[in-house]
Amino acid sequence: MRKHLLALGATLAMSPLMAQKIGVINSMSGPEAPIGESITNGIKLAEEDLAKKGIRVQLVWEDDTGKPQISMSAMEKLATRDNVVGVVGPYTSACSNAVSKLAQKYRVPLLIPAAAKEEITRQGFKYVFRMNAPADRYASSLIDASLTLGKPKTIAFIYENTDFGTSTSKTAKDYVATKGIQVVADEPYPKGSADYRSTLAKIKSKNPDLVFMVSYVADAILLMRQSREVGLQPQAFLGGGAGFTTAEFAREHAISENVISCTQWTDDVNWPGARDFGKRYKAKFGKDATYHAACAYESMMIMAESAAKSGSDRDKTQALLKAGKWNGIMGPVQFADYDGFTNQNNHPMLVQQIQAGGYETIFPKEFATKKAVYPFPRWK
Amino acid sequence: MAVFLQSLISGILIGGVYALIGIGLTLIFGVMRVINFAHGDILMVGMYLTYILFTFAGIDPFVSVLISFPLMFIFGGFLQKVFINRVLNAVAQNQILLTIGLGLIMSNTVMLIFTSDYKIITTSYSSSTFQLGGGVSVSWPLLISFLITSAITAVLYWFLLKTDTGQAIRATAQDREAAQLMGINVKRMSIIAFGLGSALAGTAGALISPTYYIFPQVGSTFTLKAFVITVLGGMGSVVGATLGGVLIGITESMSAAYISSGWKDVVVFSLFLLVLLLKPSGLMGKSRT
Repeated sequence: MRKHLLALGATLAMSPLMAQKIGVINSMSGPEAPIGESITNGIKLAEEDLAKKGIRVQLVWEDDTGKPQISMSAMEKLATRDNVVGVVGPYTSACSNAVSKLAQKYRVPLLIPAAAKEEITRQGFKYVFRMNAPADRYASSLIDASLTLGKPKTIAFIYENTDFGTSTSKTAKDYVATKGIQVVADEPYPKGSADYRSTLAKIKSKNPDLVFMVSYVADAILLMRQSREVGLQPQAFLGGGAGFTTAEFAREHAISENVISCTQWTDDVNWPGARDFGKRYKAKFGKDATYHAACAYESMMIMAESAAKSGSDRDKTQALLKAGKWNGIMGPVQFADYDGFTNQNNHPMLVQQIQAGGYETIFPKEFATKKAVYPFPRWK
Repeated sequence: MAVFLQSLISGILIGGVYALIGIGLTLIFGVMRVINFAHGDILMVGMYLTYILFTFAGIDPFVSVLISFPLMFIFGGFLQKVFINRVLNAVAQNQILLTIGLGLIMSNTVMLIFTSDYKIITTSYSSSTFQLGGGVSVSWPLLISFLITSAITAVLYWFLLKTDTGQAIRATAQDREAAQLMGINVKRMSIIAFGLGSALAGTAGALISPTYYIFPQVGSTFTLKAFVITVLGGMGSVVGATLGGVLIGITESMSAAYISSGWKDVVVFSLFLLVLLLKPSGLMGKSRT
């Protein structure tokens, strides 16, 4: 009897009418929850659009609370018990890095929407794909933008001592070395310190032209508040993604105005459907869409379409992801092997600045919506 | 020089709040010989109380101290009467397990209600400062919380030294049996002490709220800190806890400025070990026989 049921299940799974079972690992609660929410919303919009295209998906949601070990057990469950065709997620670099090894082990296609650590797609894992541009792009796009805006000679780094913070600043340090900018301060900090004033005062005494920060939401707000307190006054504050590109951060007008950050996506670039996605997102969730939402949306669209085309077969889905080319709200997407990366979408980064409480694209020129404010105005 | 002064000032200001946390813990230990491992979680409850009052009633975090202090006092008194009093004569392990358990219940209850998302309170003065000259600036919210801390500490000293109840508390701390023989209601003193300790922790939570962020697991960081401060100053010594708090604040700040913020805990704990090696009973502690 059991055998028959299995056979029946197998035939059903082969039919295109059958819903595609896809896993989602996301930080729905925990410190990264505000960003996790954007990812969840993006995936929900993708679910709607897939239904319009006649692709039925059955999503299995897993909350990793931002912890790698929980992320890994979620992946084990999805791969062995839920038998999903593919997985979209997780969010943070630490979780994605941990889960990528399992994806390869269980041969489950994993599409990571928005984790920055470079090594994730540098391990040669055939089953691990990444939508967003990795950390080296965060750094190089921000530095390139500053170099076209002014003539910075010195730079200070302050970043949380996690996978994301360390890898982003390391690539940034390598990149500024090639541009002849001198690193005058290099300050990793343990997440959740109450007081960054003395570190910031030390940075201030070095009088750097650029201050490069890498943090998640809460620390991003704290760092900028205390920078204002100690009167740190560089030509530009550069925020390496994450905490600096959230609506929560932009809402803190007094300290977030004119901070430059980089992003994977904005709703005003000329990629097909980007503007429309922004509008629909705002209408449905009452918030501006972030790059995390767009990355998650496009990842889910691509994963579900490939899964449907493959007839719910993991290996075929992997082959389809590898061979495919898409052009949607994230611009042209192709999972290529280059510079030591495997299955990495070579995504162009956009540099933006908070002006009048909103994010405006200022670099590269072809996507710019506003002129940059440079140097950073004096603190009031 | 500016870096030195800046670090010194923010170290002292932060240290003031640490002192408040330490005093609460040392008071409880002094009177009952119970090490309160739920201290950080009580502080966390104080933070959420401030958050609720601020978001739903629009009460300024510093003003809310007036409300949270008595509320936290009642909360602490309740904990003492219902739970801690029962284990006063039990072995130390049981007392520790009980307070750890209470702390876990608090942090998980708060997590169920508020989720583990970080909350941040933004007031009009959250990042306002005034200049001291020479490029040194002082954060208003930190300064205000330092002043409130100092005022509370002064009132507490007066209370412990001059009032009958205060003297009774000190007597209980010195010798529980003798105090009881002298007609002091030691059970009531214990309730007052635990209530005061909780109120101080809750107040510290309220005072940190405008400049820090709030999440259910925030307590463990502060339990550890309170512990270091209390042991450093001498278990049971209020003066010692004040001194220990400011000392830890300055050490953290200085080591972040002159070594690296990643190393500040290493420096703090090295100092801690050093003090314990040279003066095992803590800076102001009397060795017990």
